Amino acid sequence: MSLAAEAFVSQIAAAEPWPENATLYQPLKEDQILLSDSASSLAVQTFLRMCGLPVEVSCRANAEYMSPSGKVPFIHVGNQVVSELGPIVQFTKAKGHALSDGLDDVQRAEMKAYMELVNNMLLTAELYIQWCDDSTSAEISRPRYSSPYSWPLNHVLAYQKQWEVRRKMNAIGWSGKSLEQVYEDVSQCCQALSQRLGTQPFFFNKQPTELDALVFGHLFTILTTQLTNDELAEKVKSYTNLLSFCHRIEQTYFKEPEREGQSSRHSKGALP
Amino acid sequence: MLSMAQRMHSTLIGRITVFGLSLANQRQEVARGHLVAESVERVRSSCRKGGGEPERRRDAETKERDAYAKFAGAPLKVHKITNPWRSPTGSLPALKTVEEGSISQPSKIIIHLRKQKYNADYDLSAKEGADTLAFVSLLEEKLLPALVYTLWIDSKNYVDITRCWYAEHIPFPLNFLLPNRIHGQQLEKLRLLRGDVALEPGEQLEKELYHDAYECMTLLSQRLGSQKFFFGDTPSSLDAYVFGHLAPLLKIKLPNGKLHQHLSSLKNLEKFCSNILLLYFPSDARETPNRKVHVQSDSSDFDSEPHLRRNQILSVLFAVGTMLGYAVLTGIIKVKRKSLPLKNSSHGEEDDDDED
Repeated sequence: MSLAAEAFVSQIAAAEPWPENATLYQPLKEDQILLSDSASSLAVQTFLRMCGLPVEVSCRANAEYMSPSGKVPFIHVGNQVVSELGPIVQFTKAKGHALSDGLDDVQRAEMKAYMELVNNMLLTAELYIQWCDDSTSAEISRPRYSSPYSWPLNHVLAYQKQWEVRRKMNAIGWSGKSLEQVYEDVSQCCQALSQRLGTQPFFFNKQPTELDALVFGHLFTILTTQLTNDELAEKVKSYTNLLSFCHRIEQTYFKEPEREGQSSRHSKGALP
Repeated sequence: MLSMAQRMHSTLIGRITVFGLSLANQRQEVARGHLVAESVERVRSSCRKGGGEPERRRDAETKERDAYAKFAGAPLKVHKITNPWRSPTGSLPALKTVEEGSISQPSKIIIHLRKQKYNADYDLSAKEGADTLAFVSLLEEKLLPALVYTLWIDSKNYVDITRCWYAEHIPFPLNFLLPNRIHGQQLEKLRLLRGDVALEPGEQLEKELYHDAYECMTLLSQRLGSQKFFFGDTPSSLDAYVFGHLAPLLKIKLPNGKLHQHLSSLKNLEKFCSNILLLYFPSDARETPNRKVHVQSDSSDFDSEPHLRRNQILSVLFAVGTMLGYAVLTGIIKVKRKSLPLKNSSHGEEDDDDED
């Protein structure tokens, strides 16, 4: 969102309280959604649950095209549409719900830095594995991404998306990396998160913040998603405090029997 | 001013790497084989120093007067070249090692140095190591795009400063090609990162990028607080990264200097940069107040002067020569030959002979 639009949205947002009919849009859970989108979507859902804000999840095949920034998930609240975790956090803050108010300056700086770390390494690694690794791309990503569409549109869209992601990887210098190096990066990122978490229940004090939501979204999705091999999940599993962190958040915020974002063919269901 | 700024504007990643080296040198004393680092600078005679001896400290180093001079004393030879094609990997900065060939990416360079036991992060705790990774990501996501924008894409800065520097120092014919190519590449990269194919440099983009950069700098300032370095009293690789990104902003005088202004308002970051500059790059730090006296600036003038003189003389000679040639050919100027009468008389005698 441009700055002017952001300021405008915040102003409007502050005027009204959170409505009951807020909706979150994401691609189709069973057939279409991919690892990275599922992770982002789960992160937003976790954040909203942590704030205690009700939101209904709606799955649409064209969610990506409906989104104002082209990225999923996005929420439809009142008469505004906001996409991606960063702007959604600011939007909820304008409505008066914030998780990171109790942090001091140094902690806030660290929180932002760690969120960037997750976006920079985990999200990029997920995108790489999905679209730049030929076997995963051919067996999982392309079929799933294009499942709602008929021939020949499905081929066109799938290859277009793949080309776009590969160009982006090239621009940030990841195209020269091998799969092993990407797994190594994921491992490094998890090690950093694990060291930061230590033995605490959450990353900062006893209260969850948007960082916890983001980390949970990504790690849970990695652990419960079936890819061509299990190596990614194994990398995450080797850090026991991260595993127990995920369990804890799942128990606290996703207690109901019908848990969103978890029951799909693509996903294995519960945490190991 | 320009030459000082030019030195500061050596690829900032090169600066990170070599800075990392100096930090590491302080901590470890392992003699290793020889490493060669290259960066974009004027061509100088590089100082040849032998392979690593542990007691070589940064102040006993090389005779080179540049910022990277002191690292050459360590098992590192610094070659400054202006032609990126001459580097071993085709791009700069590049590290050529005895064991493993050439490395180009800065993160790989740092990893290699760590393997050689030059590790500036030796004393950091696990949590601090994690923080380093996080803040480096923050820098790369928020500050680097704005830095690239302000140097390469912002039209005023690019045309006035960046393109001129590169064009002046890169040899023919690359000086015509390279700056424009880098400009195009950076714009393309920015477009891909923002996901907007039709992105054009303008007010809106500038505002968004700078907004992120201001936030990043403020966060760094908050994290630094009143400490000397990010993790206590000794510098680490995070300090090198931050310095590498902030120093160009601080030192290069750009026409459109909003980032510089914001950075100047964050006193502790400014102090942090000048501190590091003073401690690890004393030749550069000395240069700012007293440019004329320092040998550096003399050499820079010396370097540019004969070039300038020569160009001037050559161009004047060429112009005069062309005008003269034209004048003679069209007959405006007639050249009188003194030997003409003599020739006529001898010619006349011959004629007489012939006639007879």
